[in-house]
Order: sequence, then structure tokens, then C-alpha cells
Amino acid sequence: MNPILEAHGLGRTLAGERPVVLVHDVDLTIERGCFTTIVGPSGCGKSSLLYLLGMLDRPTAGSLLFEGRDMSGLSGDVLAQTRLARLGFVFQFHFLLPEFSALENVMIPMRRRGRLAPDEVRARGFALLAEMGLEGKERKTPDKLSGGERQRVAIARALANDPALVLGDEPTGNLDSVSSARVVEALRRLAHEEGRAVVCVTHDLDIAALSDVRVEMLDGRVEKVTDQRAGR
Amino acid sequence: MNLRGISFLVSIAVRHLARRKRQTAVAVSGVAVGVGFFLAVSAMMIGSQNDFVEQLIEAAPHVIISDELRSPSPQPGTRRFGEGAVDLRGYKVRTEVRGIKGWQGIVEAANAVPGALASPSLTGGVTLRLGGHEEALAIVGVDPEVETKISTIEDQLRVGRLRDLETVQGGIIIGEELAARLGVKMGDIVAASTSSSKARSMRIVGLLKKGQAMISSNSGYVLLREAQSLLGRPFIINRIGIHLDDPYAAQEVAARLEQRFGYKAESWQERSSEFLSLLVTRNVIMYSVVSAILLVASFGIYTVVSTSVSDKRRDIAILRSIGFSERDLQLIFVLEGIMLAAIGVIFGWMLGYVLMEILASLSFPIAGEDQSVPLDRSTRQYVIAAASSFIAGSVAAWLPARKAARVDPVDILRGAA
Ligand SMILES: Nc1ncnc2c1ncn2[C@@H]1O[C@H](COP(=O)(O)OP(=O)(O)O)[C@@H](O)[C@H]1O
Ligand SMILES: [Mg+2]
Repeated sequence: MNPILEAHGLGRTLAGERPVVLVHDVDLTIERGCFTTIVGPSGCGKSSLLYLLGMLDRPTAGSLLFEGRDMSGLSGDVLAQTRLARLGFVFQFHFLLPEFSALENVMIPMRRRGRLAPDEVRARGFALLAEMGLEGKERKTPDKLSGGERQRVAIARALANDPALVLGDEPTGNLDSVSSARVVEALRRLAHEEGRAVVCVTHDLDIAALSDVRVEMLDGRVEKVTDQRAGR
Repeated sequence: MNLRGISFLVSIAVRHLARRKRQTAVAVSGVAVGVGFFLAVSAMMIGSQNDFVEQLIEAAPHVIISDELRSPSPQPGTRRFGEGAVDLRGYKVRTEVRGIKGWQGIVEAANAVPGALASPSLTGGVTLRLGGHEEALAIVGVDPEVETKISTIEDQLRVGRLRDLETVQGGIIIGEELAARLGVKMGDIVAASTSSSKARSMRIVGLLKKGQAMISSNSGYVLLREAQSLLGRPFIINRIGIHLDDPYAAQEVAARLEQRFGYKAESWQERSSEFLSLLVTRNVIMYSVVSAILLVASFGIYTVVSTSVSDKRRDIAILRSIGFSERDLQLIFVLEGIMLAAIGVIFGWMLGYVLMEILASLSFPIAGEDQSVPLDRSTRQYVIAAASSFIAGSVAAWLPARKAARVDPVDILRGAA
């Protein structure tokens, strides 16, 4: 076990006249070098859980340990800084900034972080896009790219600051099977070859079958966690 | 955040603005027009004000001591026995001979003030007569040597020089309008008389230009000795004009001299206090108009930034997920406002410069003289215009930018997923 993220009794309830429970009492450990998938019927709270794990949303119950540090009660600025330096998100609808070229989109996290000199940022941007098989598309704006290409740009961007944890919310949900396979292959490589923790929400059971750990959710709860590595 | 981080936020703001060129152009023009017209209007307002104040300062001595007293001096009887047990009544009241007593001492004291030069003079009324025509004239008897140093009379002469009073027996300088009414020209002889003296002949040695704001068309200049004898008041003077190297010390110098000698000493500020307070009102009006223009300009900025925030909610969510903080997002949109203001200021400066060039090239005939518009083209106005635009722009952008900071990325992501 090499945990990077630990959830204990994690819960998220929307306050209101009739409170809505999105996530309830989740205990979960995410490991480095491991490709984890979260599956479950639509509306069962997969995205909600992913937002909590990615510190985009704050839990209303329980605690979250990231790299051994209790993240509850930290300021928004600290959480933002953690996302910037340690996390990478990929969403279903690629979410690239439309005014920026593929290369510029990939450079955004690096430029915001300001660690690298401009030419280093540029070189790394080219390298990340090349790794995703996007050579020659660097100058294209998102509207000139196909869905699969955009999603690979989004993955390259998620990797810009060399994150320890990559989170995907149905990253293949909008792609044809060929593109989908390439994206999944890329995500698996991130975990197995680069030692990152990768967590992906998906409703594609083929993808879930390819993953190391499979988390099944129902009605906001984690029903079952299956480690699929043993059999291979 | 380091400098690279900030410059990146700037570049994001630039992209946002580049996306909405037309709105950006409108907002920028609003600021530019506001700044440009502020520069042109304030240059005129301040220029004419400076011109006017300069005239106020230079047209007459900076301090004038006259033979009036602010409060009548006590009679000698009361002065000596003021608190006595016996109430003195019916003693002979002394009538004061008008004129400044001991004026040589005052002139000496005034000249002792650093940068000050005092010129004693005697003013009084005479009647000028030529043929059957009569005109009243207020004459000022001066020492031309000193008077030229303390006033601008010399510049106001159409013909002749003040010094000519010394060389021509019975010389007099009068206004050209008065001369026209009397039908006299340079070198002509007129008769001058007062109620107590018989007429004597005076020769016109100079003519004052008409339309001088500070000099009445019915005043004239003669030699001090001439005035004293003409008015029957030998050795008396009733006015001491003092010129100061620093005109703004006038109030203080006047107060000191009045305190010491008792005679009313008026500074130019006191003499023109009504005009000066009028200028304050003018400035208040000017700055109110400018504030209104900038307010309108900031509406443009508000609109651009506000629509930018609503259009970019998706981008805001993605930037937040990447690790931009609430403050970063707020800053991006405030920067948009500041940039709109900055571009507007640059165009506004150019517009203002052009407007001022046009104004400077104009000249109007006023009272027969070609006069150009007095302009104050100091950099201070450029700085004021820029600073107020930046403040207006930041505030106008800050209001919608707060909304950007409050966007909850999870709401947006859920909606899209
Ligand atoms: N703001 C909200 N108000 C009410 N219900 C919500 C809100 N946001 C999400 N939900 C509900 O919470 C549940 C969990 O949503 P989500 O985490 O997106 O599920 P999943 O990703 O598994 O499809 C869904 O049933 C959804 O309708
Ligand atoms: Mg979902």
C-alpha cells in the first residue's frame, strides 16, 4: 500500500429545506501507481465524490488526507495551490479555454505556477502534446480539433505541473471507441509507468475492467471496492 | 504569486478583451473622450485662471497701504485719560488731515522686507478741461523711477513712457478713451483744476491702452510733486504700493505693516477675495463635470467586465479546477477594467493633446487686440486624468469581478457534465 489520498467518513449534503445527500460516509484509499475507476448508475454521486477528492468541493462530514496532510479546514487559497501543484483534472467536455491554442492551454497551469522560465514552459508544452500524439496541432485552437484531440490536450494540460494525482470525470464519455481507447491507454500509462495515482469516473464497464481498483457506488455510498490486480 | 504569475493573469485578461472588440472599443472610447475633454477643458479653465490671477497680481501693487484706518483712532483726549475718574466731555475734537503720517518711516520699513519695494503716491480727483468739454479724472502722483519697478503701467502705455513725466514740465498720462472724448492727442495741452486750486496747463505725454481690466479709463498719472501741488497737499501722500518678489507673501507682509503702523494695508488677495472665491466655485464645477464624464465612462467598463464575467463562467470553473484561486479570478477581471482604462487614457491623452493644439492655434480679437486662449498644459492634468480613470475603471471592474470570484466551479461542472 502506497496511499496518496485517504477519505474517512467523507460526506457531502446540500443544505436546504430538504437537504440532498450527494455523498455519504465514504471510506476510500487511493494509491500511487494505481489506476482506480469509480462506477455506478447515473446520479449516484460519482462526480460529487470526485469533486471532494479533488478538493474542488468541501465535505460536510468526515476528513480527507492528501499526502498525509489533513485538508479539511484549509483556506481556499491553500486548496487552490494544492490543485495547481499536485493535481490534474480531466472532464467529460474537455473544457479547454477557447481563446487559447492547444499549446497555450497546456501552458496555463505552468504559467500560473510561475516556476519555469517561459522557454522551459514552451518546451514542456510541446513535449506533453507530443506524448499525447498531438505533434503539429500545437497552434490550433480548440474549435479546430476533433473531440479526441481536445480530450488529449486536456490530459496534457492536467499533466503540466507533473501532478501526483490525476482525476478524470468520464474523460471518455464523449469519445468514439478508438479515441476512447487511446485516452484510457494514456491514463493507464500515467499510473503504471509514471507512478501517479489516477482516479477516473466512468460508466464504461470495459474501462472499469481494465483498471487496477474498481469502486462501485450506489446512492451516494461506496458499495464495493475490488482490487483487480491480484488476478492478473 | 510571482511576477510571471501576474503577467499571465494580464495575458488572460487581454485575450478576454480581444474576444469582444466592439464592446472594448466602446468602453475605451468612453474613457478616451472623458480624458481628452477633461484635458482640454481643464487646460482652458486653469489657463484662464492663471492668466487672470497673474493680472490680479501684476496690475496693481501686491500690497497697498492707504490713509484709511480699519477703525477710527481714538481722540487724543480719550487716549490720555481713557480710564480717568473724571469724564471729559466737550473737549475740542481734532480733525484728521487725510494722508499717511510718517510715510517715510513706513516706506523704509517696507523696503526693509526682503524682496519688497515700496512706492509712495498721492491720488486725488481733478477736472480736465479743454474748450467747453470737462472730464473728471482720478490722478495718481507717482515717482516714475520707483513706480515702473512695482507695476506694469509701462506695458499698458499705448504711446509714451512713464519716465517722460520727469522730463516734461506738467506732464500727464491719461487713457486713450478719455483722450478721444476730450479730443486731445499726444503733446496736446489740457487744463487741470481742483475745487481748491486754479487751473493749470498739463501736457499729454502718454496714453494708456483701453480695455485694461485693472485700470479705470478715468485715471491718469502725473509726477508725485505735481499731484501734491495740484491737489494742494504738499509733502502728503495717501497711498504706498508695495511690490514683492513673492506675491504670495502679500497677506503676511500686509498684516505685519498694518499691525505696526495702524494704516490699512491690503494685500492683492484681500482686494480680490471675491474673484478668488469665484475661481474656487469654477474649479468645483469643472471637477464635478469631469467626475460625471468619468462616471459615464466607467459604466462602459462595468458593462464589458460584467458581460465578460457572465460569458466566462465555464472558463472560470476550469481555471479554478486547474488551481487558480478566487483572488486570481477577481484579479483577472479587475485587470480587464484597468486595461480598458489604460488604453482609454492613452487615446484620451492623444485626443486631449490634439484638442489643446487646436485651442492653442486659435486667436480671438478681444478689445481690438488679438488674444490667444490662455492654456495651462501642465503634466499635472495628464496625471490627474489618468489617476481618476484608473480609479473609476478599477471600481467599475471590481464590482462584477467579485461575482467572478464567487462562481462555484462545482455548480458549473455539474451543469455541464
Ligand atoms: N445542486 C443540486 N441540487 C439538487 N440535487 C443535486 C444537485 N447537484 C447534484 N444533485 C444530485 O445529486 C446526485 C449526484 O450527482 P452526481 O454526483 O453528478 O452523480 P453522477 O456523477 O454519479 O451522475 C444526482 O442525483 C443529482 O441529481
Ligand atoms: Mg457525473
